[in-house]
Amino acid sequence: MAIEQSFLLLKKQLAELNKNPVEGFSAGLLDDEDMYKWEVLIYGPPDTLFEGGFFKAHLIFPKEYPLKPPKMIFQTEIFHPNIAKDGSVCISILHEPGDDKYGYEKASERWLPVHTVETILVSVISMLADPNDESPANVDAAKIWRENPDEFKKRVAKCVRKSQDAFE
Amino acid sequence: MADISDIEKSGTSLVKITVKTPKEKQEVEIDPDATIKELKEQVAKKFSASQEQLCLIFAGKILKDADTLKQHGIKDGLTVHLVIKSANKAHDNSAASSTSTSPQTTQQPPNINATPFGLGALGGLPGMGGLGMGSANFMEMQQRMQREIMTNPELLRQTMENPFVQQMMSNPDIMRQLMMSNPQMRELMERNPEITHMLNNPELMRQTLELARNPAMLQELMRSQDRAMSNLESLPGGFNALQRMYRDIQEPMLNAAQEGFSSNPFSSLVGSGGSGSNQAQQGQENTNPLPNPWAPPGSPAGTSQSSSTTGTAATSPDVTGGQFGMFNSPGMQSLLQQMAQNPQLMQNMMQAPYTQSMIQAMSANPELANQIMSANPLFGANPELRQHMMQALPQMLQQMQNPASQSVMTNPRALTAITQIQQGMQQLYSEAPDLFQGYNPMGMPLVGLGTPASSSTSTTAATTPATTSTNTTTNTTTSTTTTTTSPTSTTTTTPAQGQAGAPGIDPFSNMMAQMVRMMAQGNINQPPEQLYAAQLEQLASMGFIDRDANIRALQATLGDVNAAIDRLIQNR
Repeated sequence: MAIEQSFLLLKKQLAELNKNPVEGFSAGLLDDEDMYKWEVLIYGPPDTLFEGGFFKAHLIFPKEYPLKPPKMIFQTEIFHPNIAKDGSVCISILHEPGDDKYGYEKASERWLPVHTVETILVSVISMLADPNDESPANVDAAKIWRENPDEFKKRVAKCVRKSQDAFE
Repeated sequence: MADISDIEKSGTSLVKITVKTPKEKQEVEIDPDATIKELKEQVAKKFSASQEQLCLIFAGKILKDADTLKQHGIKDGLTVHLVIKSANKAHDNSAASSTSTSPQTTQQPPNINATPFGLGALGGLPGMGGLGMGSANFMEMQQRMQREIMTNPELLRQTMENPFVQQMMSNPDIMRQLMMSNPQMRELMERNPEITHMLNNPELMRQTLELARNPAMLQELMRSQDRAMSNLESLPGGFNALQRMYRDIQEPMLNAAQEGFSSNPFSSLVGSGGSGSNQAQQGQENTNPLPNPWAPPGSPAGTSQSSSTTGTAATSPDVTGGQFGMFNSPGMQSLLQQMAQNPQLMQNMMQAPYTQSMIQAMSANPELANQIMSANPLFGANPELRQHMMQALPQMLQQMQNPASQSVMTNPRALTAITQIQQGMQQLYSEAPDLFQGYNPMGMPLVGLGTPASSSTSTTAATTPATTSTNTTTNTTTSTTTTTTSPTSTTTTTPAQGQAGAPGIDPFSNMMAQMVRMMAQGNINQPPEQLYAAQLEQLASMGFIDRDANIRALQATLGDVNAAIDRLIQNR
């Protein structure tokens, strides 16, 4: 039953997103046969350093969804304090519920079954605009962001350009 | 030949796609077979930007110039994201993009639609598919129709001029719902978006209708289609195209129809021989007409055809007997319900001349009605009930002929009132089932229970007249499901309305009371909340909080959660 439910829930969300797309990203299935692997394309939000970039990411849902959060991994290289070098996104709402072993986050900030693809991506997009350097996944990026904004700008501009080239 | 190409051109009408940037939103109309490059040309005009600056994104993917809309499943009404790159960046990339676009144009996949005969749409004439849209099996319909129309064009025209059929055809929602009630069909449509396009295209359906009203044109069309097919086969590669088409479209469709036979309203009508011979003809031109699906199993094709629209209710009782399966299948029940929810349709139906003649035929021939009843498994199992039914029937029919009760049927407000009474009764019944045991002799209010909104009971109450009407139409029309089911729905409500027109006919009310008692013993009359409790819970846990809507969706889909979700999403 649980498997069935996650499938239906994802199907519903996909249909909804196809019908009424949300600003800032586009979502589809990586493989039409597999409802649990999504491919999303985030456009760098306007008026941020990431403007103009196209960032591809995969969302991998567990069968236990929505009780457990999906994993989000950027496929496009992206220089950001909260995105690890392997592309995995580190934001509190994607962390499994329960006590935080590091004591950073409150339970309310972590994964909740009410989150949908839409709310996740809206969070990620706002994270792009406004990095959180308290718990960086990419320590280098966090350091540069904090200490050398110009250098950070350059590095981001480089990956934005790269992201565009990838699709040409 | 000119006719065909005209029809083809206007048949594949444009789809509307919304193109959205972070700042603005525009609608673009484009041929569903177009490539992304063609789409970009249009978008570039709308947004006054150069094509190189455009980046179209759909379902998480950046659309490449050489791809087609179809490849990405971009359908009517969907939204494509657009990012307009700033001009200087576009300049940087222009070198890269020009190199990549040049080879792409040559790589387009072979497009069946590009053949002069436009075979892609449905493995045949899109127009003909449109006519058979109500059926689960287009191909069979198409061929059957071909034969029938050749022999009797008058027949088709009569069908088509029926206001009910016209309204039905011009209402894509109903057609779509009919189609969607078959899960296999749904799957097929998901895999072949072009079929969905046809369903979403009221223009196409209307054209089909126009076409059908002109027998000469239709006949010509049919002939040229066959010729086109054989021409195509003799072309180099043409046979392969046909084969591919068959594999991609007809075969899954056939499978869908066959697998779906258990839930297919026509399952009892089509003998296994009919579908078997269908398969035997794989990949080759089919010049033989298919066996008449309406004929009783085992009898040769065409025997039960009759040429006139009226008075056929009295023909071949065997045929009638063969058709009962229809009313017991879930598909038919959901159809019935959809019809019952739409008083407008019923109204039109009642005004249709052949419905009235059918009613007359029924009342003039109680013998026939009796036969129908004794063949019905429901009544067959309950001789007592049948007895009552038989006694009451002539009176009921007389009531139906009463102008007063007929005017009730054509008055939407009266219909609404009746529906309300029914709902009230149903509620009362679910709140206090015991009450009814005591009130049985009252008769009249119980009639409401004979035709409540829930489909299972309405079918039981109405099977008798409904079946006759089906007999009428199937013999006369070219068997679109729409016409087949329409009289059914009308007559579904007839007993109740006949009764409402003049309350207190004793045998009839007794009979109804009897029926209610029987239902109380089974769970036919179980309220939907109980019947679908598990599904409702599931829906609620998925975030569908509108309980009423959930119940409606479940009723319409007969408890199929998946289908109910589709429905809920679509209605949103």
